Amino acid sequence: MRGLKNPLGIAALVSLVFLLFMVVLGPILWGEEAVRTDTMALTQGVSAAHPMGTDGLGRDVLARVMAASRSSVGLALLATAVAVAGGLLLGALPAVLGRRAAGLLNGFVSLVVAFPGLLIALVLAVVLGSGGRSAAFAIGLASVPAFARLTQTLAASVAGRDFVAAARVLGVGRARMLFRHILPNIGEPLIVQATLGAGGALLAFAALSFLGLGVQAPDYDWGLLLNEGLNRVYVNPAAALAPGIAVVLAGLAFNILGEYAAQVFGGRDTIARAEGRSARPVPGDALIVRDLRVSFGPAVPVKGVSFTVAPGERVGLVGESGSGKSLTALAVAGLVEPPGVVTGTIEAGETAMVFQDPMTSLNPALRVGTQIAEVATTHQRLSRRDAARRAVARLADVHIGAPARVAGQYPHELSGGMRQRAMIAMGLMGAPRLIVADEPTTALDVTVQKQILDLLREASTTSGAAVLLISHDLAVVAQLCSRVLVMYAGVIVEDLTTERLVAGPAHPYTRALLASVPDMSADRSLPLATIHGRMPSPAEPVTGCPFAPRCPRADERCLTAMPPFTSASGGGGVACWHPVRETGGGPVTRPDEEAPDEEDPMRRTR
Amino acid sequence: MTALEFHGVRVRLGRGRRAVDVVHGVDLTVPAGTVTGLVGTSGCGKSTLARAAVGLVPLAAGRIAPAGGVQLVFQDPYSSLDPRMTIGAAVAEAVPRRVRDRAGEVRRLLDLVGLEPEHAGRLPRHLSGGQRQRVAIARALAARPGVVIADEITSSLDVSVQGMVLNLIRELQRELGLTMLFISHNLAVVRYVSDRVAVMDAGRIVESGPVDDVLSAPRNPYTRALLDSVPKLG
Amino acid sequence: MAVPSPPLDHPVPPPTEAAPARERRHPWVAYLARRLLRFVLSMALLITATFGMVHVIPGDPVRAALGVTASPELVAARTHELGLDLPVWQQYARYVAGVFGGDLGSSMVSGLPVAQTIADRLPYTVMLALVAFAVVMITAVPLGMAAAAWTRGSRGRAAELLFTGASGLLAVVPEFLLAVAMIVVFAVTWELLPVANVSGSVTPSYYVLPTLALAVGPAAALARIVRVEALAVLSSDYMRTARAKRLPARLLYLRHALPNLLTGALTIGGLLISGLVAGSVLVENVFVWPGLGSALVDAIKAKDFPVVQGVVLVYGSAVLLVNLAVDVALGRLDPRSTIKED
Repeated sequence: MRGLKNPLGIAALVSLVFLLFMVVLGPILWGEEAVRTDTMALTQGVSAAHPMGTDGLGRDVLARVMAASRSSVGLALLATAVAVAGGLLLGALPAVLGRRAAGLLNGFVSLVVAFPGLLIALVLAVVLGSGGRSAAFAIGLASVPAFARLTQTLAASVAGRDFVAAARVLGVGRARMLFRHILPNIGEPLIVQATLGAGGALLAFAALSFLGLGVQAPDYDWGLLLNEGLNRVYVNPAAALAPGIAVVLAGLAFNILGEYAAQVFGGRDTIARAEGRSARPVPGDALIVRDLRVSFGPAVPVKGVSFTVAPGERVGLVGESGSGKSLTALAVAGLVEPPGVVTGTIEAGETAMVFQDPMTSLNPALRVGTQIAEVATTHQRLSRRDAARRAVARLADVHIGAPARVAGQYPHELSGGMRQRAMIAMGLMGAPRLIVADEPTTALDVTVQKQILDLLREASTTSGAAVLLISHDLAVVAQLCSRVLVMYAGVIVEDLTTERLVAGPAHPYTRALLASVPDMSADRSLPLATIHGRMPSPAEPVTGCPFAPRCPRADERCLTAMPPFTSASGGGGVACWHPVRETGGGPVTRPDEEAPDEEDPMRRTR
Repeated sequence: MTALEFHGVRVRLGRGRRAVDVVHGVDLTVPAGTVTGLVGTSGCGKSTLARAAVGLVPLAAGRIAPAGGVQLVFQDPYSSLDPRMTIGAAVAEAVPRRVRDRAGEVRRLLDLVGLEPEHAGRLPRHLSGGQRQRVAIARALAARPGVVIADEITSSLDVSVQGMVLNLIRELQRELGLTMLFISHNLAVVRYVSDRVAVMDAGRIVESGPVDDVLSAPRNPYTRALLDSVPKLG
Repeated sequence: MAVPSPPLDHPVPPPTEAAPARERRHPWVAYLARRLLRFVLSMALLITATFGMVHVIPGDPVRAALGVTASPELVAARTHELGLDLPVWQQYARYVAGVFGGDLGSSMVSGLPVAQTIADRLPYTVMLALVAFAVVMITAVPLGMAAAAWTRGSRGRAAELLFTGASGLLAVVPEFLLAVAMIVVFAVTWELLPVANVSGSVTPSYYVLPTLALAVGPAAALARIVRVEALAVLSSDYMRTARAKRLPARLLYLRHALPNLLTGALTIGGLLISGLVAGSVLVENVFVWPGLGSALVDAIKAKDFPVVQGVVLVYGSAVLLVNLAVDVALGRLDPRSTIKED
């Protein structure tokens, strides 16, 4: 029971017990007292015998409130059932109907859903007449459009996913598609909404009864009791408060249950972030990183990284996903946010950042020119007009045609490549000593990729800024950089020149990585080399070399002692007990047809 | 095995005045038992062509043969598997009705793509990206298709995993003699798995032919531009 | 109330390779035209529904209104007077013509023109809703943003708990219960503020309790949403870009975060007005406020259908007009919304 460990889980359990207690035992325990009239005690205030006073016929208010639980909650549940059933039907129907009928139905629902539920419920109450049951139907039917809309939206989002397309290709029928693929995948949010909806229905029901349009005397529910209480509020305020408190408590109980359901189903993760620390400007090297560690609780994705980047140097930081390369880049730019903890020293001059996804990295609500110019207005104290003029000049520098026009446009009006150019232009507004580019071409087409890499080279040459290029693609790095850092499981395993990378790296991992990627001259008659096993996750304790379990050259020492990073005489270095000395590439691991196990612990047999 | 043929295929997406021609009159033949690579930048219409071949997108004009028995493997193995369906159920759903021993067939298919029988009881979220892509391939093969279309199947995988999936595809294609249209934006990957290659730009096939001919002596300027932009080591 | 708020995100279109976005000549005009068409359709639906309402009631509505004691002659006369003996399509034509001509019929009970009743009472309801809306917007947006800035990351755990707990509770308590509680506390126990007087004159102090009762819940709900939206905006890629530029906090929040928040807040604000309109019906009844809401409930109880029709029509069109205004404002504020398909 992991639910009992968190406060919301406990609250949900308490709410459930409370609701069940009231609904099941309320009428049994207090039912008789609730209808017992006492002519000696008409409309009394609070007393020991009557904790909430009595009503106009001398009946005990508290007993009536307790006994009304079942009808109040029961009718709310009836209303919810009507709403969910109707909503599911209306919402799921378009998935099965033809396109035209579905369009009409969707259109109708979206028109109706604009009206407030209570207004629809009032109108329906007129049509259906007053009384508990018809009020329940009125409230339920009034909520149908909203539930239908929710179902539609959820179903549409599921229907757009590839697994539904795959099922269609397989010839899966409409009914099976609905019941096997679509409904199960929207069930959880619907349950959450239905629970929250039940709380809403309870309140709506109280409202309707309170207005005299719901339950009619001699029957009673909380809404009706509230109405009676309000009429005598100057004589006995408690009689108005008691049913109100009951309604609020029950409504709250449904809400807590719904919130808990959402938490259980959604696995809602709270992404906590905060300001990063800023780097200090230094003379000399463009970037010095010493013993950088980034940790998130027990997980340590970056485990002690040290390197320097000389002024104007272009360095690539290469690794697979999970190697810690992007976090290293964020740490360099001072953008790691809590709960991430950064230790070690980072010394860098003015740094410009270029991010992976140009679609989301520009503010959609601001003009491109404004976003570029503000660097100059805030940091270089330029006037607004001068900053705007410089922004246009920088846009021209990154080879954007009609830069003045583009400056006046919003990001969504530009292509991906143009936006990435604009990001680079933004970085060039100041006098950066270092440009950190985190997978700047991954989201772009190959043809655009080359242009952006050329642009980064040009920017670095003309401004003298160093470049730290983060990428998973060795070939991309080789195009731009003179030096490459290879990261694996949070550490730098090799530091080498691009020539050396091509000629034959020393670390078995670098060699394996090279061999597993087909290039334009790969021998097509041979299978590609592959790397068995998987990278240790950041939370796994690693003794020895993190690559050892996958390495064909590993021996006992590799598994027990982490190899230190040893610098080579001609610059660069490697962290390996058994580095490859001879030059020349070649696959490290022969592909093994029988056991392509990747990252499955079940098949880790070595 | 069957050949895959596109004759004057035109695809319009959107409705009314917003409709746009995405594929303009494509003629392309993938000879039986061979692999044709289809390359082009994003938005050139190559994925739309694939979707048209399996009937996910209606044709505005032209004809695609065969009309059935074509299976598609999608780019993103994280969204192409129903998160609530076990691997076994997902593969079994694709097995033709006439097959008696369905469980045995699922085991055989999982084995074919290098997965263990135990995987059949697991949900997609317990599998890595590469393993999911294997499941997607097994599911496509389960339908006993005459033709398989692979749409960017390695572009969301890490490089070391990409190699394994490419090896698997090559192996299966040779073993089963599959007719395959292999779509990718990565020329090196396409070159590695394909016999022939077709280059697509703005909804048209601008060049096609045997891989070595097209890539060593491209005649179309767009193909040359694509080749020039491939990043190379050294 | 019983209605779960509709999700705001649009359904995801199937992931086909996007066609090159061809520029429409006037996306803004097309957007406006689509919104107007939707408004017209909704109005048609509303008019038809209010008309149909009377015709689907089981039994004779006139008899129901006049009571079992009314003579058959009186019922027949009133039925003729109201045109209920005409063929349905003729009645519909008369009704539609009446709506556009400002003639909404007359009350079955008092015989007064419905339009007159509405004209008398509408100002009170509009004032109540406007004041409440102003209170909601002025308090909720800054409160939500401050809460977001304060509770970002793992900072301010206690503050976060306090904020979510208190606002959650306030958002759940319905306005009419709050109204009753306020009467008990401020009017009955402390005798600080007046509750509606039957004699009629409404002075500013009479506004305090009803507007508070109406505004507190929506304000709490909006503050929560603003906080969540603000948290999402603050952790977006473009905010990271802005932080990478080392902008001062003032620019970070006001220039980069606020505009992206406003669209969300405005959308919710539109929904809130719809909620306020519905909530005012209840609050008016608690405080015996001389507005449309109490007229509606009285009419429903008296089965005075022409009045019900007229008031529902007014409420419905008010909601539709607000939605239209919000859509137009959104189109102006968020450059992307005009090209989004609906």
